[in-house]
Formats: sequence, structure tokens, C-alpha cells
Amino acid sequence: MSMHTHSDDQMACPSCDHLYDMSGLEQGQQARCGTCNHLLATYREHAYAHVVAFSISALIFFVLACCFPFMSFKSSGMESVMTLPQAITQIKGEGMWDLAILVACFILIIPALVMALTAALGISLLAGWRNHWAKDVAKLIFHLQVWSMVEVFFIGVLVSLFKIADMATVGVGIAFWSYAAFAIFFTLALSNLDTFQTWKNLEELEP
Amino acid sequence: MSRVTAASKGLASCHLCQKVASVELDKCPRCGTALHSRKSNSLNRTLALLCTATILYIPANIWPIMITDQFGSSIESTILGGVVLLIQMDSIPVAVIIFIASVMVPVGKLLSLFYLCWTLKSGSSVSPRQRTIAYRITELIGKWSMIDVFVVSILVALVHIGKILVIRPGIASITFAALVIVTMIASKGFDPRLFWDKEAENHE
Repeated sequence: MSMHTHSDDQMACPSCDHLYDMSGLEQGQQARCGTCNHLLATYREHAYAHVVAFSISALIFFVLACCFPFMSFKSSGMESVMTLPQAITQIKGEGMWDLAILVACFILIIPALVMALTAALGISLLAGWRNHWAKDVAKLIFHLQVWSMVEVFFIGVLVSLFKIADMATVGVGIAFWSYAAFAIFFTLALSNLDTFQTWKNLEELEP
Repeated sequence: MSRVTAASKGLASCHLCQKVASVELDKCPRCGTALHSRKSNSLNRTLALLCTATILYIPANIWPIMITDQFGSSIESTILGGVVLLIQMDSIPVAVIIFIASVMVPVGKLLSLFYLCWTLKSGSSVSPRQRTIAYRITELIGKWSMIDVFVVSILVALVHIGKILVIRPGIASITFAALVIVTMIASKGFDPRLFWDKEAENHE
């Protein structure tokens, strides 16, 4: 075998560059680097069906999380209720438009975009379509997912609940539970989308 | 060293799609991303971003992250001031979460990345495997420092009872967010494969 021929089953560990042949990895199995223990790939059974189901569920809960009251705050006989989009406009209203944009991107825009793209990619891979856009969609997902902070935001919400519980009566609304469900389905959808497997299948489906 | 790496076979792995292709190609044949055997200029890039983050850390701690206007008087609180206040209010668990997320994680991340960069320049007795694991932990915990920024955002959005009680975001909220973003880019740009390259060099 010449040095420059290589099969599509080759993978180099992203942490230590150790070269592996992945052709033996089967559905329901996981591969770890023997040198540095980096998780190389996870082939879940019915992965794309799960990706589609979880990402569409996530999108439904996202819409609910945006439309309904998220939290309420009652003090001195006055109550203020907020939805997530109102939270962003409130921060902007305090003159911090840069913070408003950052928070909007990290907790709403990027996560929703990633889920919409993941749903589209999942459907395309599940149906085995040969199209020109699936690769670009996959590129965007893998670039953007680092900048989604759904789970971090949710912990932040829990912390703020504790922080103001003494000051006043704080309530949580439908959107709070919807966002929690969105966070869970978001994580599940992405954990079923394995980088190595996705790109291998995209290459096989090239038009 | 007998270890077979992609680089030793004249191959490079795409940063984005993990395709293994000849290092002589400029672009990944599968996804079109620029192809490099190692992340380009990673050590200098990471060090430059770490210095930026260190500078940002100063205003993020000196300036207030949150301003509370209550009955006409306003109280400004810094990150550490907020932690102290929570301890005085007996909210120890919340104080611990905020302290870990806003103080320990960013400082630990900066120190850890500085140390890892330093071992590439001067060598280290710590094995590449342990340093790789240290790097991966650093990369994983990075975004959790954003908790305090989100807490401030929620409080600002929620707490406004007429003119009696209003919480406003302080300037440190944005410098702290910038600090987290810069350290995230710094750790993304770092290449742990350099630990192993250095080790292989030393064995030759």
C-alpha cells in the first residue's frame, strides 16, 4: 500500500493524532483513543431517527419557551412578569445593547438555529437525499454548537431563583418548564449526531 | 517512537469534519475547510488571547457587575462583592456556585492554559497524556463561567417594581462576558497534539 492511499474509515485522534481504522466500529458501539482516552466516535442505533425526533421536539418547546411567561416577581403588592424576548428588550432598555445581543445569541438565536439546522440535516440523512446543501448545513452546526449556552443559562436561572427568593415571591411559568425541556432535547439531539459518522454518510450521499 | 500518527504518514485530519487526507492538499477534499496538520500558529495565538483575557479580568473585577436601586439609593456590587453579600445573607450554596463559576473557573482556566503553553516552550515532566486531559477539562468548563452574566441578565429583566426596586446591569457584565468569550477562543485555538510532537522529538 502506498503512503498516500487511504480509506474513508481512517480517523486521527483530534487530541494526539494517533491514526485509527474505524471500519470495525458497529452500531451501538463507542470508540476511545487508546493513547489519550479521547472519545473518538459514538455510533448510536437509529441515530438519525433520534436526531430528527429530538430536534423537532426541541423546536416545539423552544416556541413555547418564547411565547409564555418565563418568571414572575411579586413585591410590595406589585407584580412583574417576563417572557424571554422581553428579558432581552429589558436589558437593551437599560442601555446595554451589547449585553442584550450577546445573551440573545447565546440562549435563543444560536440554539434555535442549531436545532433547526440539525432537524434539516437529520431529515436529509434519514431519507438518504443526495443534495447540495446538507454539507453546508453540517458545517454550520459544527461551527455554531460551541457557542450555544442553553445548559449554562438554565443553571443561571436556578441560581437567580435562589438569589431573589428572600427578596420577594418568585414564580416560574410555562416557559420555564418549556426551556428546561428544550435544554434536554437539545442535548439529546446533538449527542446522537456523531461528527465522524455524519460526515462519512454525507460523503457517501454526495450528488 | 513506534506510534502511528497521521502526521507520520504525511496525512492531516480536517479540524471541522475529521477527514484524513494528504497534508499536501490546501483544502479538505470533503468539506472545503483549510487543511493543516496542526492548528496554525496555535501557541502564539493562544498566548496573545490569554494576555487579552488577563487584561479584561481587571475591569471585570473592579467595576460593578450589577447595580441595585432601592428606595432612591443605589448599591453597586462587583463579582467578589456579590459573593461576600451572599455569604452574609447565609445563601452559602449560591455563593459557592457563583464563586466557582465566576472566580475559580476563569482564573483556573487562564493559569492552566498559561502553564500548558509554558510546557510547550520549556518541556515538562508531566506526561503528554495528563496534559491532554488537563487541556480537555479546561476546554469543557470554559463556558460555565457565563453563569454570573446570565444571573445578572435574569435579575435585570425580572426585578423592576416601579421606581422602588430596580436592578441594572453594570459595565463589568460586558467585560466579564468578553473575558469568557476570549478564553473560549484561546482554548479552541490551542493544539494538544503539540504535547505529543514534543515528546516524540525528545525521544529521537
